[in-house]
Amino acid sequence: MPSSAAQADPIPANPIPTDRRLALHRTMQTIRATETTLSRLFADGEIPGFIHLSVGQEAVAAGVVGALGPRDSFATTHRGHGHVLARGVKLDLFFKEIMGRAGGICGGRGGSMHVADLSLGVLGANGIVGAGLPLATGSALAHQTRRTGGVAVAFFGDGAMAEGALHECLNMAALWKLPMVFVCENNGWSEFSPTSTQFAATLDKLGAAFGVPHRKVDGNDVAAVAEAAAEVVEAARNGGGPRILECLTTRWHGHFEGDPQRYRNADEIAGLPRNDPLRRSAEALLAAGVEESALAALVDAVDAEIRDALEAARADALPDVDAAFRDVYTPTATLTAGA
Amino acid sequence: MPKPLRYVNAVAQALNDAMAADPAVMLMGEDVAAAGGPFKATRGLLDAHGPERVRDTPISEASLVGAAVGAALTGMKPVVEIMFMDFVTLAMDAVVNQAAKARFMFGGQCSVPMVLRTPHGGGLNAGPQHSQCLEAWFAHIPGLRVVCPATVADAYSLLRAAIEAPDPVVVVENKALYALQGDIDVNAPRAVGKARIDRAGRDATIVTYGATLYAARAAADRLAAEGIEAEIVDLRWIQPWDEEAVFASVAKTHRVVIAHEAVQAFGVGAEIAARIASDAFDDLDAPVLRVGAPFMPIAFAKTLEAAYLPDADRIVAAVKSTLA
Amino acid sequence: MTMVRELVMPKLGLTMTEGVLAEWRVSPGQPFRSGDVLLVVETDKIASEVEADSDGVLIETTIPAGETVAVGTPIARWSADGAGAAPAPEPAETPAAKAAPIPAPTPGAANARPLPAPVRSNGERILSTPLARRRAEGLGVDLAAVTGSGPRGRIKVADVEAAAQTRPTPQPAPQPEPQAPKIETPAGERSKPTTLQATVARRLTAAKRDVPHFYLAAEAEVTELAALRDRLNADTESGLQRISMTHLVLAAVGRALAVMPEMDRVWDDEAPGGAILALGRGDIGMAVDTPRGLVAPVLRGAAALPLDRLAEEAAALTRRARDGRLTEEDFQGGAVTVSNAGMHNVTYMTSIINPGQSSILGVGSVRSVFRPDAAGAPVLKRELGLVLSADHRLFDGVTALAFLNRIIAGLERPFRLLRAP
Repeated sequence: MPSSAAQADPIPANPIPTDRRLALHRTMQTIRATETTLSRLFADGEIPGFIHLSVGQEAVAAGVVGALGPRDSFATTHRGHGHVLARGVKLDLFFKEIMGRAGGICGGRGGSMHVADLSLGVLGANGIVGAGLPLATGSALAHQTRRTGGVAVAFFGDGAMAEGALHECLNMAALWKLPMVFVCENNGWSEFSPTSTQFAATLDKLGAAFGVPHRKVDGNDVAAVAEAAAEVVEAARNGGGPRILECLTTRWHGHFEGDPQRYRNADEIAGLPRNDPLRRSAEALLAAGVEESALAALVDAVDAEIRDALEAARADALPDVDAAFRDVYTPTATLTAGA
Repeated sequence: MPKPLRYVNAVAQALNDAMAADPAVMLMGEDVAAAGGPFKATRGLLDAHGPERVRDTPISEASLVGAAVGAALTGMKPVVEIMFMDFVTLAMDAVVNQAAKARFMFGGQCSVPMVLRTPHGGGLNAGPQHSQCLEAWFAHIPGLRVVCPATVADAYSLLRAAIEAPDPVVVVENKALYALQGDIDVNAPRAVGKARIDRAGRDATIVTYGATLYAARAAADRLAAEGIEAEIVDLRWIQPWDEEAVFASVAKTHRVVIAHEAVQAFGVGAEIAARIASDAFDDLDAPVLRVGAPFMPIAFAKTLEAAYLPDADRIVAAVKSTLA
Repeated sequence: MTMVRELVMPKLGLTMTEGVLAEWRVSPGQPFRSGDVLLVVETDKIASEVEADSDGVLIETTIPAGETVAVGTPIARWSADGAGAAPAPEPAETPAAKAAPIPAPTPGAANARPLPAPVRSNGERILSTPLARRRAEGLGVDLAAVTGSGPRGRIKVADVEAAAQTRPTPQPAPQPEPQAPKIETPAGERSKPTTLQATVARRLTAAKRDVPHFYLAAEAEVTELAALRDRLNADTESGLQRISMTHLVLAAVGRALAVMPEMDRVWDDEAPGGAILALGRGDIGMAVDTPRGLVAPVLRGAAALPLDRLAEEAAALTRRARDGRLTEEDFQGGAVTVSNAGMHNVTYMTSIINPGQSSILGVGSVRSVFRPDAAGAPVLKRELGLVLSADHRLFDGVTALAFLNRIIAGLERPFRLLRAP
C-alpha cells in the first residue's frame, strides 16, 4: 500500500546544488499552493466538474519535469496539474482553464482533466486512465523519426499498470528503442482500491520482461527524483532506449475532490504529513544553510502569484459557444488541395 | 496514356507520392513494411522510404493508433493501417477520445493530422469479424472526418486529400474493390467533402458510397432499360457529406434511395434521410428509402453473405417503390 | 381456358350472418389487381373494405349496392382475364377476397384531435407528397379535387399537374331567373360523404330516432379515487400498467354490472315484435379516440376482471384501436359503453346509445367545486359529472338510477375496486 523510502533504490551520493534545490522547492510550493486553492474553490462551488489533486506527489512533478529540456514532451494523467505547472504553464491561463473561462489555456474546452500546452510539449492531461502512454510513445517515435533530440515522458499512475496500453507501449518502445521514459507515480491507490488488490505483478518485473531498465525512487524526496530523472532522461535521449522510473509517493486527497475516502485507514491518512515532500525539502534546504526567512518569502511570493492568477480568472469572460464550434475542426479554407 | 492501375496500387501510389511530397508523412501498421500489407497496399514503400517512415508495428491496435496521435501532436503526419475495420474496436479510445478531441479540448492549440486507413466490407466470405462496415460510428464523432473512395481515381485522390487534411481522417476502403482496375489522375482536385455525380438522371436519386456504387450502377442500367433514369450521387465523403450535391439532386428528381453496404439501422443513410426530411422536405414526391444490410452480423457461408449484401435488385425495387 | 369464378358475401366475423353490400368499387368489365378494394361490406358494427386476393377482371355484379345478403351468397362473377362473359359459373368458392376492417366511428365525445392539413371538407386527411402540396399551392389546384395515383391514393406531383391541365376554365355564371320569394340554399362546398360516413350517419340517426333514450345525471366525489390512482401510479417499481380515470370508471361500471345483470341486456329490434336479449357476459364498450375517428371496441368480460388486468387489457385494446388493428370481433357484444371525455374539458356529456346496446355512460372532467357541509360551510370537493343514457324499452328510471348509484358508490369508495370482483 503506501510506499516508504525504505523500498526505494539507494540514492547515489550526488548532492544537487542548493540553488537548484531551491528552484525545485519553489515548483513544489507552487503546485501545493495552487492545488490547495483549487480544493477550496471546488468546495466553494467555483469550479465545475471533477478535479483530481496531486497534493503529496509534488516532488515527482518537480523532479521529473525539472529534468526535461525544451525539446522534450510529455503526456500526463487526470492527476496532472503538478506536471503542467512544473513545466511552466502560465498560472493565470491555468486557473482560467480549470474555472471554465474563455481565456483558459484550452479556452475552457477541456478543464482540469485536459490541461495542455503544446507550445511547451505538454500533450495534455487525460481523462482516460493509461491513454497518455500511447500518446507519449508516439511522441517519442516522432522525436526519433524527426531526430529532434527530444525525449517523451509518459506519466502514469499505479492504477494504469493494469491497462493493456502499458504493456503494449513497453513492448513498442523497447522494440524501437524509443527515447522515452515511463514515469510511474505509485501512490498505492488505483482510484478507490489499493493497487495491491488490482495488479498481480510489479513494475520492475514488467520492465524486465521487455528488457526495459527500471529504477525505483522515493518519490517524496525531490532531490532523489531529480537525480534519477536526470539519469533516465539522458539515457533515453542518448539512444539507450526506454526507461522506467517508478516514484513511490503519497496521495493526500481523495481520488477526486469530494471523495470522502472511507476506504482508507484513518491512521494512514494521519501519517501522510510525516512524509510530506515539501516539509522534507524545506528541512533539507534549512540543513544546507538556507534561511528560514528565505523560505517564508518564497511562500509569500507564490501566494501572491496565485492571488493574481485567481483574480484574473474570476474577472475573465465565460467561453463563447460559437467560438467553441470553430475548434472542432481546423478551419477549412485550406482543405482543397491539388489542381 | 497511363496504364490502368488496380485500386490497391492506387492506394500505394498515393502513399508513396504523399511521403515523397512531405517528409512528415509516415506509415504505421501491422505488416505494412516488409510484408507490404495484407492486401499489398503498402508494397514497395519500405524500400522507397526506409524503415523509420514505414513502420511495422506489433499487433497492438490500441497503442499503435494512440502512438499515431502522439506522433501527430509532435510534428508527424502518420498514416496508420488497421488490417480489417473490425479491429478498430480495439483502438476506439485512441480514435474517439484522443484523436477526435485533441484539437477541441485543447482549445484549438493543435490539429491532429493523421489518417487511419482500413478496409471494410464483405464479399470475401471473411465472416462476422472481418467484414463489417463501421463507418457510421466514426461519422458520429465530432472531430473526425470519414471518406470512402469507390473508384480507383478516388482511391488515389481522396487518400492524398486525407493525408493533406489537418484533422484526423478515417479512410475506408472496401476490400472487394482492391482488384478493381482504373486510371488515376495525380493532379485531380482533392477536395474534402465533395460528392461526385456518377451518372445523371431525372427520375430518382440513388445516394451511395463505396462498393455499393457498383450495385447502384447495375440498378441504374436496369432501370434505364425500363425508361427510368436514375441519378447516382457517389458521396465519397461521409463526414462531412456533401449536402449541397444531395439536395440539388433531390430538387431535380424528387425521389431518393440511399444505398450502402453497412447495416441499415442507425446507419449513414439514416442521417441523410433525416436531413432530407428536414431540409428538402418540400422537394419530395415520395418517401425517402434506404437500402442497407439487414440487422444481423454478416455471416460466413457464401449463400448467407450473398443474401446479406445489398444488391442491384434491392436498389431497383426501392427506386421503383419511390416512383409508385 | 378461362375459369369464371364467383365472388360471395364474405364472412368477416365469427358472428356475422349477413352483411350490407354497401358499395361496389369496381364496375363490370373493369380489371383489378391483387389488393385492390372490390367492395365495401357493412355489418351493424363495422364497414370493411374487401380486397381482391389475386388479379382479375369483374364480369358482372349479381347483387346491387345497398342490398343485404346472407354470408356466402354469390354477389359477382369474375375471371382472370375478363373472358367467359357468357358463363357457366364455376361452383361457388370461398371468396377471392380478404377484408381490411375500417372501424366505424361511434357516437359519444366529440373528436377533439386536430387533423393535419390538408383535409377534405369532411375532415378526412388527404394523402399527398410535400412536393405535390407545394405544386398544388403554386398552381392553385385544390387537392380535394385531385385523385391520387400513389400508394394508398397518395397524391403525387404528376397528379396535381394533370389536374391543373384538365381543370375546366371558369364559365361566366348564368344569370339567375327572377323568382318570387325563394329559400336560400346554404352556401358552402358540397361533397358526397364516404360510405363509412354515410353508414355512421344512418346508424346514429336510427339510434337517436328509434331508441327511446332517457338520461340521468349525477356527480361522483372523486378526491379519494384520484388519490388512489396517483398512489398506484407512483409505484413505478411494480412495472404494472398505469391506471387511468377511464380504467377506474370501467372497473366501477363492471362491479355495478356484476350485481345488476339486468343491465347487461339489449333490445333486439330484428326479432318480430322485438325481443329482449340477456347477454350476461359482463362485456363493456369503451370509446377510444383514434386518428380515424371515435370507435367503441368492447372490453371482453370486463365485469369480472381485477383492476390490473382490466387496465392492461383496456390499454391493449386502446393501442389496437389507435393502430387500426381492431377486428369485427372487437365490436361484438356489450350492453353498456363508457365514453370518457374528461380529458377534453367538459362537465357533462349526454351521449347517444351505441346502436345495438342499451346504455352509455358519458364521463366528464374532474371539477373542483365548493359544496356545503352539514353546517352549511363550503367544503372543497373534486367531482366527476356522469350522465347515463338508457333505453327506456328495457329500463325504468329506478333501475337505471340504481345502476348509476352503484357506479358512483364504486367511484367514491375506490378501495372496493382493488378487491377481486
